[in-house]
Amino acid sequence: MSFVDYGYVSLNKKREELCGDRVEHTVCGDVHTFVLADGLGSGVKANILATLTSKILCTMAAANIPIADCIDTIIDSLPVCKVRGVAYATFTVVSLDERGRGYIVEYDNPPAIYLRGGKLCPLERQEKVYGGKKVYFSELEMQEGDQIITTSDGVVHAGIGMSLNFGWDVAEIREFTEIQYERNGAAMTAASVLANACYSLYGKECGDDTTVLCVKLMPTKTLNIMIGPPVDPARDEAVVKEFMSQEGKHAVCGGTSSQVVARVLKKELTSSFDFPDRDVPPIGYIDGVDLVCEGVLTLKKTLKYAEDFSNPAYPEIKQFRGKDGASMLANLLLCDSGAVNIFVGRNVNLAHEGLGIDNKSKLDIVVKLLKILTSLGKKVDIKYY
Amino acid sequence: MVIQICIGSACHLRGSYDVIEKMKALIAADNLEDKITLKASFCLGRCGEYVTVKADNEFIDGVNAATIEKIYNEILKPKALKG
Repeated sequence: MSFVDYGYVSLNKKREELCGDRVEHTVCGDVHTFVLADGLGSGVKANILATLTSKILCTMAAANIPIADCIDTIIDSLPVCKVRGVAYATFTVVSLDERGRGYIVEYDNPPAIYLRGGKLCPLERQEKVYGGKKVYFSELEMQEGDQIITTSDGVVHAGIGMSLNFGWDVAEIREFTEIQYERNGAAMTAASVLANACYSLYGKECGDDTTVLCVKLMPTKTLNIMIGPPVDPARDEAVVKEFMSQEGKHAVCGGTSSQVVARVLKKELTSSFDFPDRDVPPIGYIDGVDLVCEGVLTLKKTLKYAEDFSNPAYPEIKQFRGKDGASMLANLLLCDSGAVNIFVGRNVNLAHEGLGIDNKSKLDIVVKLLKILTSLGKKVDIKYY
Repeated sequence: MVIQICIGSACHLRGSYDVIEKMKALIAADNLEDKITLKASFCLGRCGEYVTVKADNEFIDGVNAATIEKIYNEILKPKALKG
């Protein structure tokens, strides 16, 4: 079984509070259903059309209702626009199980870009007509590393009359995604790279709602993270052994936790002397542990990174290349892993009381991180000691 | 002489970053790199009002960004020169 990784960025048209594009995602068993809908017009009206369309389609498609019936339902439900006399939102549906099988249904959005091994791999589209609307079906047999990018038309309109006379050509967008493809890169990173390019072409003021959704099949990688030492020091050894016996990578957050892990493993703990980011204390090293970092301050910064990462309206490229503890932890948690096991030790460090970094604020940060990781489709397990 | 400066959460908030940067500069200015080895350390178990600093086996009290220069000149440097 693989990990269905996904991420999307949705940038609002300038001066609009609401986005007229909408991405919905549901999971039913091991089947993931994604819908990207682009409502006619912009602002409130477009937002309502896109929300209704994506929500209805996502719910019905996830329940295996034939797509013809889904489309009928949408046509019957959407409010008709008084100005234009039509009710309409374009959409793309991606349905994918964890073995890589599924389908894409496309209606009037720019054609989805399918990359295999970083090269464009044209979809075999079958045309079907429902109530005068042309809809394209493609079967999916994805392999690990394969990537689908689907967008709203804000992407092909990027830069019209500004940096590019006629907008961004579909062929050039495809070439761009090929150049930017990274096999081990996160879907969110890929989506943000394309959205950020549009944002630049628009001169940081989008002329249209611009949405990029990336779905990628990835190997399931697990990160085990230990935060804080156990309340009962007698359990140190058992907890560390259980933690280290888990498959995947291991990160230890916290000075005392690091010392406990090093002691149990009978390894040396050394610490770096570099401050790539002066808000974040330096990292440390224990042989056999992938990342050793300080606790609460690093987690606080990591949470900030996670909030930006999961915010669809954040226009910058979403990846972490910094060598400070928070960037490295964010990369492991957000980009590198499909599953995260969190071992939370609740021993209180009295020296932290009154400094704004007490145990409660640390646990609050952990809970917020956990919510974000879950919202990103990762399998998260948390245990308290 | 080995000087360990704590970079744990509490000491970080008490200014260990500035203490480290100032110490690096002071040692470089006196060309004492061969006498003093500067190291970062996780919690040394003496969290208090100041940044925890240990010179060989002795804890040095009262260190922060404001006091480090004085402490260096009056305590650490003579100690390093004495060997």
